[in-house]
Amino acid sequence: MKILKLSILELMRRPKKNMLIASSIVIAVALLTSLSIVSNSANLAIMEIIAKTGHTLTVRPAASSSGANAGGKGQEYKLTTSEVVLGSYIPEAAVPEIMKNYDEAIKAGWEKKGGLVSNPGVPGVVLEPATWAPRLFEKAEVNGQEVIVTGIELRKEYFVRFWWNLTSGQWPADTDIKDVNTNISTQYKLDSHGNVVIDKTSYGVDSSGRIIAEEEKKKDKVAPVKPILKGWDDAYLGGAYAKARGLKLGDRLAINKTEFTVRGILEETNSADDYMVFIPLSTAQSLFRKEGLISLVSVRAMCPNCPVGDAMVELNKNVTGITAVSQLDVAGVQFDFFNMLYKFLLAVVVSTIAVGIFSIFNIVTGSLYARIREIGMLKAIGASRSQLFRIFIYEHFILGLAAGIIGYLLGLGMAYILNTLLDIGAVIRISTDFLPRALILGVVCSLVAIIYPAYKLSKLKITETFRTQWES
Amino acid sequence: MSEFIRTNGLKKIYHVGDQRVEALKGVDLEIAQGDFVVFMGHSGSGKTTLVSTIGGLTRPTEGTVLIEGKNIWKLNDSQLSNFRNRKIGFMFQSFSLLPTLNVLNNVVMPAIFNSNSRKKDTDALKSKAISLLTDLDMKSKVNSFPSELSGGEQRRVAIARALINDPEIILADEPTGELDIRTEKEVIEICCQINNVYKKTLIVVSHSLTWLEKAKTTIVMKDGFIYKDLADPVQAIMNGVCK
Ligand SMILES: Nc1ncnc2c1ncn2[C@@H]1O[C@H](COP(=O)(O)OP(=O)(O)OP(=O)(O)O)[C@@H](O)[C@H]1O
Ligand SMILES: [Mg+2]
Repeated sequence: MKILKLSILELMRRPKKNMLIASSIVIAVALLTSLSIVSNSANLAIMEIIAKTGHTLTVRPAASSSGANAGGKGQEYKLTTSEVVLGSYIPEAAVPEIMKNYDEAIKAGWEKKGGLVSNPGVPGVVLEPATWAPRLFEKAEVNGQEVIVTGIELRKEYFVRFWWNLTSGQWPADTDIKDVNTNISTQYKLDSHGNVVIDKTSYGVDSSGRIIAEEEKKKDKVAPVKPILKGWDDAYLGGAYAKARGLKLGDRLAINKTEFTVRGILEETNSADDYMVFIPLSTAQSLFRKEGLISLVSVRAMCPNCPVGDAMVELNKNVTGITAVSQLDVAGVQFDFFNMLYKFLLAVVVSTIAVGIFSIFNIVTGSLYARIREIGMLKAIGASRSQLFRIFIYEHFILGLAAGIIGYLLGLGMAYILNTLLDIGAVIRISTDFLPRALILGVVCSLVAIIYPAYKLSKLKITETFRTQWES
Repeated sequence: MSEFIRTNGLKKIYHVGDQRVEALKGVDLEIAQGDFVVFMGHSGSGKTTLVSTIGGLTRPTEGTVLIEGKNIWKLNDSQLSNFRNRKIGFMFQSFSLLPTLNVLNNVVMPAIFNSNSRKKDTDALKSKAISLLTDLDMKSKVNSFPSELSGGEQRRVAIARALINDPEIILADEPTGELDIRTEKEVIEICCQINNVYKKTLIVVSHSLTWLEKAKTTIVMKDGFIYKDLADPVQAIMNGVCK
C-alpha cells in the first residue's frame, strides 16, 4: 500500500464526478490541440510551398486590383502566383529594369545581413540571377465560350512553375529543364517546424541559377527574341478546363476565330491555371492587339531564403507603374480570414478554460467536502498535512494527465474536422509536438482547481471533521 | 502506577459566531500506564473534547497534555501526526473504514503514513494484520470490503486498525454506540482483552453502563470538569455530581 495507490483507488471511487471534471479539461485540451495543429499545418504548408518554389514575387501593373481568380475555389493559397490580372498592363520593355532592381535588392539584402537573411541563408553561396516569366491574360471566346486565355513563354513559365506536369501530350523538344527543376525542389526540405533544411553540398554543385544562366546565354545567341514554342498555334490546356470541355490532345480550338491545336493537357494544381488556356505569348500579343505588353511577371527567387521582402519594397519604391507582391504576403492576406478565425477560436478556448477551471473548482470543492469525515479519519490515524496534500495532488495529477491524453487524441480528430469545415486545404500533420503541451495543460488545469481546496482541507482541524458526523 | 498521561489546567473554548462555549474548564488529570478508564457524563459535558485533546486531535486553548512527560501540543504537524500514528489507536465511531479498501488494507492503512516504515516491513505488517483479525474472529473476512460487513464486524476491523502500529494508548469514543447488546458485549470483551492481554492503556467514552463493570477507573464529567473516585458514579450522573 502506497499513498499513490490510495489516490488511484479514491479516483476510481467517484467515476461520474471525476468524468465530469475531466470532460471540461478534455474539451479545453482538444480545442487547443486542434487549433494548434491546424494553424501549424497551414503555416507549414505555406512554408513548404515557399521552400519549394524558392519564394515567388509577382510584379503586376500598379493600377490592377488583385485576386480575380479564374473560377477556382475561394481560398486558393497553393499557387498564389497564378492570380489573374485583366485590363491593365506592363510594357515588356520594363522587365530588364524590374529584374535589375530585383537582383540588386536581393544582393543588398543578402549582404546587409552578412550572408544571413531572415532565416539563415547559406554563407558563401554565390547568388545567381533570379528567373522570371511573363504572362498576358485576356478574356477570349474559345469554342464559343468565354475563357481566360493566357499568353506565356512556355520555357520560362515552366521554369517558374516547375510543378507543372502534363497528363497528356508533350513539351516542345527544347524544354529540357525538367531535371534542373527536380534538383531545385529536392534541395529545399522542411523540418517539422517549417524551417528550411539546406543540403549545402547539393546547393553548391547543382546551383540551378548557374545552369539557367548558361542556358539563357545559349538561347540569346540562337534565338534572341522568338519564343521557345515552335508552333505559334500550339495550345496547352488547364486540366480542369480540358475535363469540363471534354477536350483531348490534337483537338482543334477556335480562340477568337483563330484555330489552335491542343498539344498538352496540364495536371491539375488546384490553382487558376487549371481553368486557363495557354498559348504562346507572341501569338497572344498579336491576337489580342497587345503587342509589347504583358499582364504580370512572376519572379522566382533562386535562393531558399532570399530576402524577397526587401526586393518587394525596393521594386515598389523604384519602379513606377508596377506593384510587387511577395508570395508570402499574398499567402498572408489569404490566410487573414483563417487567422481571424483562429484568434476568435483561441479566445473561445481561453474562456472555456477559465470557465472550466471555475466549474472544476466547484465540483472539486464539493467532492472534497463530501470526503471531510474520511479526511479527519486519515489525519487521526497519522496522515500529516503534506501526506494528505499528496493524496489530492496525485489524484488530480492522474486525472489531468488522463484528460490531457484523451483531449489530445480528440484534438487530432477535431483538427481533421476543422480543416475540412474551414476548407483550409492544408495537409494535417500529426506531430507529437503538441502532446507535451496538451499534457501540461491538462495537468495544470486539474491542479489549479485542486490546490486551494486541498490546502484548506489539509489544514482542517480534525475535530471539525467529525463534528459533521453520523451522516453516512 | 507510574504517571503516564497527565493534563494540567486543560481548557478548551469554542467560538461559534458570537458565542463562547467553554467545553473544558481546567482539567487536571493523571492516567497511569495500563489503566482502563471510562469517561461518563451527560451529552455536551466535554468528554469527546477531552479525549481528543489527549489524542492530539484537538488543540487545547490553555493547559498542557503530557504523554510520557512530553508536551504533545508543542510538536509540529508532522511530529504530531507521527505521534498519533505510533502512540495512539483511535476507535472513534466517526473514523469509519475506507470503502475502497478491503479489510486487510484498511487494517494496514496506518502504516502508509508511517514515515519510518520500509518496504520489507510490508509482509510482516500483513501477517500481523491477519493475526489481529484472527484474534478478533475476522479471519474469514480478510478480503471483504466494508460494505459487505455488519456494523459489529466493521467495528472489529476498526479495532484491528487501531492496534496495527502497536500503540500504547487506545482512545475509544463511544465504541459501542449504535450496537445491539450482544455485539456491545463482544466489543467490550475485546477491549478488556486489549487492556489485559495486550497491556494497552485504554480510555473509553461511553454512555453505556456495561462498561462500568469492567473499568479500572471511572471518571464522570460535567460542564467541562472531571470528578474522579466517586463512590457511586451512576448515581452521581443520575442525580448530578455537584449539588
Ligand atoms: N468543534 C466545535 N465547535 C463548537 N463547539 C463545540 C465543538 N466541539 C464541541 N463543542 C461544544 O463543546 C461542548 C462539549 O462537547 P463534547 O463533544 O466534548 O461533548 P460530549 O461530552 O462528547 O457529548 P456527547 O456525549 O453528546 O458526545 C458542547 O457544548 C459542544 O457543543
Ligand atoms: Mg462525544
